[in-house]
Amino acid sequence: MAAEPLVLAGADERDLARLDEYRAIGGYTALEKARAMDPRAVIEEISTATLRGRGGAGFPMGRKLSLVQRPEQAGKPTYVVANADESEPGSFKDREIMRRVPHRFIEGCLISAHAIAAKHVFIYIRGEYLAEFEVLKRAADEARDAGLLGDVTLVVHRGAGAYICGEESALLESLEGKRGQPRPRPPFPPVSGLYASPTLINNVQTLATVPIILEHGGQWYADLGPERSPGTVVYSLSGNVARPGNYELPLGTTLRELIYDVGGGVPGGRQLKAIIPGGSSVPVFTPDEIDTPADFDSIQAAGSFLGSAAVIVVDDRACMVQLGLRAEKFYMHESCGKCTPCREGTRWLVQLLEKIEEGHAGQADLDLVISVCDRILGKSLCALGDFAVWCVSSYLEKYRDEFQRHVDEGGCPFGGESSLEGVFAPVDTHARPAEVPA
Amino acid sequence: MSAPEVVTVAIDGREVQVPKGTGLVETALAAGIEIPVFCYEPRLGPAIGACRMCLVEVEGAPKVQAACVLTAQDGMVVHTAQSSAEAAESQNAMLEFILVNHPLDCPVCDKGGECPLQDLTFRWGPGASRLTLPKRTFEKPIPISPTIALDRERCILCYRCTRFSESVAEDGQLIARNRGAQSVIATFEDEPYRAPFSGNVIELCPVGALTSTQYRFEARPWEIQNVPTVCGLCPVGCNVHATTREGKVKRILARNHPEVDGGWLCDKGRFGFTHLRADDRILDPLRRSGPRRYEELSWDEALDEAEGLLRAAQGKIVTALSGSETVEEAYALAKLLRRGLGAHSALLPEDVSPALDAFRLPLSAIAEAQLVVVLGDDPVAERAPIVDLWLRAARRAGAEVVTTEIGAPEGGLASAREDDLGARLRAAERTLLIWSGPGGQGGAPLASLAAELGFAERPGCGAFYLPETANGRGVADAWSAAADEDEGNPEPIGLLVVSGDEAAANPDVRALAEQAERVLAISMFRRPVAPWAHLVLPGTSYLERDGTYVNVEGRLQRLRRAVLPPCPDELAWLAKLAGRFGVELSPYPSQLFEEVSAVAYDGLAYGVVGEQAPLPGRVPMREAGEGGPAPRKPAGKGLRLVTYRPLFSGPAVERIPELQFQRPEAEVELSPQDARRLKVEAGRTVSVRSNGTSVQLRARLNGKLVRGVARVAAEHARGLGTHVDVAP
Amino acid sequence: MTLAEQIQDVAAQYPERLSALLPALRLAQERDGWLSPETLREVADALNVTPAHCQAVASFYDMLHLEPVGRHLVEVCTNISCALVGAQQVLEAFENQLGVKAGETTADGEVTLRALECAGGCGLAPVVVVDHGYREPVRPEEVPGIVEELRGG
Repeated sequence: MAAEPLVLAGADERDLARLDEYRAIGGYTALEKARAMDPRAVIEEISTATLRGRGGAGFPMGRKLSLVQRPEQAGKPTYVVANADESEPGSFKDREIMRRVPHRFIEGCLISAHAIAAKHVFIYIRGEYLAEFEVLKRAADEARDAGLLGDVTLVVHRGAGAYICGEESALLESLEGKRGQPRPRPPFPPVSGLYASPTLINNVQTLATVPIILEHGGQWYADLGPERSPGTVVYSLSGNVARPGNYELPLGTTLRELIYDVGGGVPGGRQLKAIIPGGSSVPVFTPDEIDTPADFDSIQAAGSFLGSAAVIVVDDRACMVQLGLRAEKFYMHESCGKCTPCREGTRWLVQLLEKIEEGHAGQADLDLVISVCDRILGKSLCALGDFAVWCVSSYLEKYRDEFQRHVDEGGCPFGGESSLEGVFAPVDTHARPAEVPA
Repeated sequence: MSAPEVVTVAIDGREVQVPKGTGLVETALAAGIEIPVFCYEPRLGPAIGACRMCLVEVEGAPKVQAACVLTAQDGMVVHTAQSSAEAAESQNAMLEFILVNHPLDCPVCDKGGECPLQDLTFRWGPGASRLTLPKRTFEKPIPISPTIALDRERCILCYRCTRFSESVAEDGQLIARNRGAQSVIATFEDEPYRAPFSGNVIELCPVGALTSTQYRFEARPWEIQNVPTVCGLCPVGCNVHATTREGKVKRILARNHPEVDGGWLCDKGRFGFTHLRADDRILDPLRRSGPRRYEELSWDEALDEAEGLLRAAQGKIVTALSGSETVEEAYALAKLLRRGLGAHSALLPEDVSPALDAFRLPLSAIAEAQLVVVLGDDPVAERAPIVDLWLRAARRAGAEVVTTEIGAPEGGLASAREDDLGARLRAAERTLLIWSGPGGQGGAPLASLAAELGFAERPGCGAFYLPETANGRGVADAWSAAADEDEGNPEPIGLLVVSGDEAAANPDVRALAEQAERVLAISMFRRPVAPWAHLVLPGTSYLERDGTYVNVEGRLQRLRRAVLPPCPDELAWLAKLAGRFGVELSPYPSQLFEEVSAVAYDGLAYGVVGEQAPLPGRVPMREAGEGGPAPRKPAGKGLRLVTYRPLFSGPAVERIPELQFQRPEAEVELSPQDARRLKVEAGRTVSVRSNGTSVQLRARLNGKLVRGVARVAAEHARGLGTHVDVAP
Repeated sequence: MTLAEQIQDVAAQYPERLSALLPALRLAQERDGWLSPETLREVADALNVTPAHCQAVASFYDMLHLEPVGRHLVEVCTNISCALVGAQQVLEAFENQLGVKAGETTADGEVTLRALECAGGCGLAPVVVVDHGYREPVRPEEVPGIVEELRGG
């Protein structure tokens, strides 16, 4: 389990945010190597590596690269866009990568640009990450001054606070100076992305892995295993755990190893109550699912998603209705408002969960929550609608007794002692609402 | 071009063949199956898949798909709500979500009875609401302009209106504000939505969220009739429905003629009808009985009076026409005056020329063009508004639209002949010339250029002259159909016949009136003709007439009487009056049209000019180089003044309080170089002086103006001469 | 450099100028503290778009303020990972210390307090973001010190 880190390799020993330090460990030689190769050969290496995207969907990067039309075919320029809009609650790995190994990330962007003959790289970083933006900007300037960009223009573009912009088509809209609302797909970005041109869009960690693949070869990376999704993943561990943080580990580490061996277990003698294995959106696991290996396929086989590998540990002080309400208020706040089921459904779910938490709900309301979830699921324009449903419906399904007690006892069985009691969500204060009270 | 590939799609078990790439909604329609939609509207650009009402099952897809964003592919198997429980459940779900926050106030909603949401709820929706929690509530209605009211509670956020604003009219004024469930439709800081095409959002709205302030609470759909007619307020002749209730026009709706208007309508055409009920509308004949005083006459008295005036003039008559008369009306007037009285002298509303008939194309061809060159000094939107939308569509489709400089010699003709632009005009496919402004001589000089460029033989190439008046061409056709003698103005003028309010408002006509011994005016409104007309006979509006107009393309279109005028129409009394001079004149438009048609329109029958008129074929130009040289620009000191007649002006607009906010800003446009030289700053008020008149106007810099020229909307240039001094 | 000149510089980095809208709005907000209608007009002129479009975009993003905010901005993340380890207590400590509720600004216009959705600091929760700088983690007992620092600074 204590495999060597890849993406964060060397960052404990050196200040790799500095160009000279990064070059001292062989930084940017992969770029040099790639630029000496035919772009098709670069794509081939990445395909051989079977590198899967680390942004949440796990799409093979090699396939994505090969779908991007070349500029001469498309009659338009191509673009590389790095998705650094990390916003999934529980996820904070990209932040660490950008802060500690910005050059590796930039190098990955430049290699990818070579692979698709792009002359523009845009890094869309979430607006809140100011310190990381400054690190990246400095690193980009250093790379530019050292002549490493060649004829490529690299722009670090800051978002301004919208979770939905982590969705790739919404990100592209936002980057075009519009409201960050998802587009219908197809066409997918490799065909029609930024400015309706062929666009490669990948997550920070995915791109930061590219130099490693070029350095050691695709086959070397594929051999790291496990078979269908080799390499390491940076697990973001948070919540009720003794040693939260980012841990770069081989894919397939079990949740038990992660929470107990790496994370030091649940502190304060509390009991483990729930595990959210891939960021707040994914279906929850109960403690008896703790031996599931945390890789794409195993987690999916167990009924959830690895997502961004953000593992949130919940101890027995938390009321699951409150947890559901808090999660749903987030999705209501972050729903872009474009499609009907997500916009209207998230608000309705929040209303229903509030009613349950306050003890005013009847039996029919529990069924109504499930029904509303079913009516959103798979029908929204982008995945946010599904996210808003997976969490809540899994809480209700797996912790039905606790929801039932809210109905039966006419209120929260925690009697004000839940760790989430009264948690305030920003949804009510951020917008300038046009809504007036009835 | 090869024929498009045909694909076979199975929808609910029915196989249908359509060209590959046909939208799935249209494909289903071809199979006789309706897929319900709210946000989908192909005229707004690519589908956005927002409302999710059109969810269907597509075999091979992991989940239900929005049909609106899919296109027909060979072998596709689709199940709509009619054959798929999942699709039916999805539609039911979407309706439930849409209705969760909808107030269900259909009984008091203007849209009730013609509302897609109401209809779809009836057909697919749930019978009972499961929402017991508070709905979103908003302040309502919000006037987003004097003509449009917004009810945010009814809004289902389909984004049709904002897409229209952003990507059809491209005015960028109607927006969505905030995010998620807090999203609302809004304008910037609640300022009025001030743009020439704003009213289209009312018709696009699939619910009662955007309603017309003119139509609010005026009628229920089961009480109304829609009369298919043609707008008479500009030379485009947009096809419209006039909605009437109890003999009154209540609203105007677009009636899509894909070649003419694409289903859009400008706000003048949409909201301009209330001039019918203006407070100075003339209902009875009037005779001047003293300075500023008029007395009402009976029709018998009026005809006696008119006959007297006509006889007394002894043929020394000049007729001034407006260009808003129907072909039939102009012909009736011409027949009476020319055949009955030998009065051939006329002041036609504008120059016309048949030369451009050789380069005729439908307006919709603009959207398919590769290169469009716009010449002349007037903004296109002010002269023929829909043409502006076609030009925007062309630009979005990748066309290059070149506007020659304002104030350029010969309206820019010279630059279109120059090496660079000229070469491109010769090289490009689907090239169009558009003349927008005065001095175009009915398009004759433009026709010469088109002929030089070989447009007659090049497919997709053509030229348009944007006339000033709605039916200037038809009026000229009718005038010459009645007789073919030509005559200068008599000296002195015994009688000036002024036909229509536009003519009455024309300064040249006013000048003639001062020379004339007597004036007989036909006018809808009292203010333009009082106090200088001796006899005033009530006029009618395009909405009160049957007849034909010839539009900018040369297309004959049919006007249908939406409501009876409040007085006998022109044809009725002209026929009687003609009888007194031994002229046989029918009061029926069909009869009159046939007489004109025999001379001017190859005997085309009235009945053939249908509800959706076809474009006549090209007529070869008689000789090259038709049309004389352009009039010389007058010389003078200071900046040469270029004026244009704004869209929101004229007798109808002046009488509509809710359109006043659309009237042009009191601005003078200057070239940046002149502004610098004159030390004028953009946005500052300057004085514009000539002939002892001084007008205060805000300066606007326009890089498209040539040096030495200032442009002002005509109504802000009253009293100014051909040249002006501009000073801070 | 004027705002308009700064915006032109940023716009030059992009193949299409409209892409510079978010950076332009940020520059304007850095100058004025918030995006007033007048400021939105200025940005609109610089990029040749309508002020309405600027408002449509600005109102979509949480970090852009369409209302005045205090000289300092204190944001407490209250999303799940922070909430599980006491974010609410930190937020309440700020409310008590500042005498305002989340979403409000102190009467002297000095400090605006907001609750924030996940700031990406879940590993060192609860996160407080003070004037865009992360403080990780913050315990309720540290709140008076932070407020004093702001009031003093």
